[in-house]
Amino acid sequence: MAPANKPSTRRTPQVRLRNYDSDDYCEFELLGTDVSVANALRRIILSHVPTIAIELVEIERNSTVLNDEFIAHRLGLIPIVSTDVGILTSPYEANDDKQCDELEYELNVRCTGDETMDVTSEDLRPHNSWPNALPVGHSQRPQGSAAQGNAADERPIVIVKMRRGQELKLKAMARKGTGKDHAKWSPVATARFQYRPDIQLDQDALSRLSFQEKESFLNSIPRGKMIFRLNPHTSEIEVNDAEAYLFDRQIFERMEEFSLPPDAITIRPLPDYFIFKVEGTGVLPCATIVSMAIDILREKLAVLHTEVQNQENFAPMLSDAAA
Amino acid sequence: MVTTTTAAASSSDAQEPSSETFMLENEDHTLANALRFFLNKNPHVEFCGYSSPHPADDVVNVRIQTTGEISAAEALRQACRSCQEVCAHVNTCFKDAVARKHASMSQ
Repeated sequence: MAPANKPSTRRTPQVRLRNYDSDDYCEFELLGTDVSVANALRRIILSHVPTIAIELVEIERNSTVLNDEFIAHRLGLIPIVSTDVGILTSPYEANDDKQCDELEYELNVRCTGDETMDVTSEDLRPHNSWPNALPVGHSQRPQGSAAQGNAADERPIVIVKMRRGQELKLKAMARKGTGKDHAKWSPVATARFQYRPDIQLDQDALSRLSFQEKESFLNSIPRGKMIFRLNPHTSEIEVNDAEAYLFDRQIFERMEEFSLPPDAITIRPLPDYFIFKVEGTGVLPCATIVSMAIDILREKLAVLHTEVQNQENFAPMLSDAAA
Repeated sequence: MVTTTTAAASSSDAQEPSSETFMLENEDHTLANALRFFLNKNPHVEFCGYSSPHPADDVVNVRIQTTGEISAAEALRQACRSCQEVCAHVNTCFKDAVARKHASMSQ
């Protein structure tokens, strides 16, 4: 960056990882940057990080209770482990040199027993050269792959239930895509960030309330007993977990009801402190999703940068033509 | 959806490089809002704002007016570079934090 344009309020963003015990959930703090950057990151995680999902289904035989479209839709929503997504080509990226990659799956099930039978993601047989691209929780999953969930509590995803004599035979085609096209390609269940609330208590003002009144005051606030705690020894209200506060402002209405002055409790969001919570679907480890999202944002900026440069080079020519 | 960005400088007055409106095709609030923040941080930028003409259109218009020391296009390029720096830094920090976490878990 040109040193002449260094803003005086230069900050260095920081990242603190809070919780990353499983690949399916990640909690981190982003400090020292603007809400617009945090929001760009959130939006990219939701809708620009590519994954694999079934997009085309050819049904050969279907005598189940669900109609063809219903089954096709359910197949589309099955999360497929997408660690290989980086080397795949989506229909939008395909050109003369590169063809769009299609991952083929087959399903051929017939119920012969008297018991109701579950057709699950386990019955999807991959027919392609992408051994990692299996439904999440599939028993064939190669060891050490992306989804390191506990196999014991992971059960295959039910597609349809069958009774004796019913049959389902189909071919499914999966492709690389992004959540912008359809939510089935979103790599996460949720990705959200929140401000960190800064809660200041004025004990003098709060001491107008008796212990019992404080107790009922806290009970009247949504999540009051999570945000605050009542110290039994000093009988003072203390902040227990500031982040439990959801910026719902109910607390201020209750303060009025308890005839507390408005500055007895002041809450303000810290301006550059964001808490991110990313819940993955198992298709990619959450750390990979976040890293990919940042790289996608960088790529967008790089493309824009070159594009502006190109435009500038062409601009004199355009004005010459106009003259 | 097309994955590439195309920026078309459609300045109303070609003689005035210090104030221009850039049409960012195939982009939305994700990029435009972040860019606006970095542009407004630039002391040479007098005004910067963006709008999306219609939610169904895949385009945002970014208006930049500078004090004259630099052109609007230069301001936009600087904002791109600043934001890229932030992204690179955040990504390094994040990857370090994950690596440290993995190291502490394997101990």
